[in-house]
Amino acid sequence: MNEKLHQYVNGVFAPYKGVKSVDELQADLLSDLQERFNELKKEGKDDETALEMTIDSIGDIEQTVQEVANLTRSLERQVLTNLSSSNLTNSDFAGVTAHKGKFAGSSLIGSDFSGSDLTGSTFKSSDVRDANFNGANLTDCTFSTLDLSNSTFNQSILVRTVFSKSSLAGVTFRDITMTDVKLTMTDLSKTTFENCTFDGADFTNSSLEGLNLDHQTFIGVKFDKAGLKDVTFRGATLKNVSFKGPALSKKFYRAIKTICFDDARMDKLTYAALKGLEADLSKVTVI
Amino acid sequence: MSENKITSDLLRGHTDTMILRLLSEADRYGYEIVKLIAERSDGNYELKEATMYSSLRRLEADGDVEWYWGDGSQGGRRKYFKITEKGKETHASNISNWEYAKRVLEKLL
Repeated sequence: MNEKLHQYVNGVFAPYKGVKSVDELQADLLSDLQERFNELKKEGKDDETALEMTIDSIGDIEQTVQEVANLTRSLERQVLTNLSSSNLTNSDFAGVTAHKGKFAGSSLIGSDFSGSDLTGSTFKSSDVRDANFNGANLTDCTFSTLDLSNSTFNQSILVRTVFSKSSLAGVTFRDITMTDVKLTMTDLSKTTFENCTFDGADFTNSSLEGLNLDHQTFIGVKFDKAGLKDVTFRGATLKNVSFKGPALSKKFYRAIKTICFDDARMDKLTYAALKGLEADLSKVTVI
Repeated sequence: MSENKITSDLLRGHTDTMILRLLSEADRYGYEIVKLIAERSDGNYELKEATMYSSLRRLEADGDVEWYWGDGSQGGRRKYFKITEKGKETHASNISNWEYAKRVLEKLL
């Protein structure tokens, strides 16, 4: 197996690792590419030319990977909905206690969960658009692969809550202290965070483009391999925050330079790491 | 170059139909499909892997195509794609749509 070919394909697919359909696509693609590479070599091409021609035959794979991931998400949702067929649109769950509740594959559009205690519940592959989770206790809850568009999470309790691979467009998180919350592989560019403290949050592989994170506190937070173009941290506090990029990704390092850290306060470690990435730290206070 | 680009956009719109045609002749694996398309177009159209798999996944979701594991030449397993009855109908209807569009375009262009 050609090492460079492998590395190239792995790099493209890395953010989607674990999504079954995408892993399958990667295997299919690698097998084709290997065969093409071998044929080119047999025709007498040198390694470098064969590799270049093989990579050229892939085309716009990023877009295909996105399509395949989205297709799975909607398929998964359909299958589960058919299984449980619990249509709970606009239901009233305000103030209820439902520890370890399972809301898999349910339609919960516009439902009211305000003030409820849903510790340990899962909302996998459900449709939870326009729902209200204000003041709800969502400790150890899992919200993965689902649609949460336009839901609100004001003053919710978020401890070890997982929001991975979900659609969070138009979602508001206000006045929250998040502890060890996972927001990985998620598009957050249309999400609102206001007056939040992030203690141990993980934003790895998420897209945060243009996001306003001004005046909020980040302790032990990971922004590794995230899309950070034009993010603002004006007046924010950052302690032990990590910004690691994927190897050889010029895009990530270019994005770091577009982040606004004006009037932010940060510890020496975070400052040093960001300085190494050539971020603009001219108006930063080191604490 | 720009002439090539326009032609390739025109052709890409028919990727699903090209793949259904190849699968209506025999079950085939991924690389075989791209290779046959390059060969039959005398190298004028190169179907990219990404475009092919995007089309295959769509055809699979629509129930036009299925796949199974077959034996590969070098010992490895190969994923073979197979057209379904529904896929044959889709192919026939795409062809008649194209015949219709062709007649109209010939009058207009």
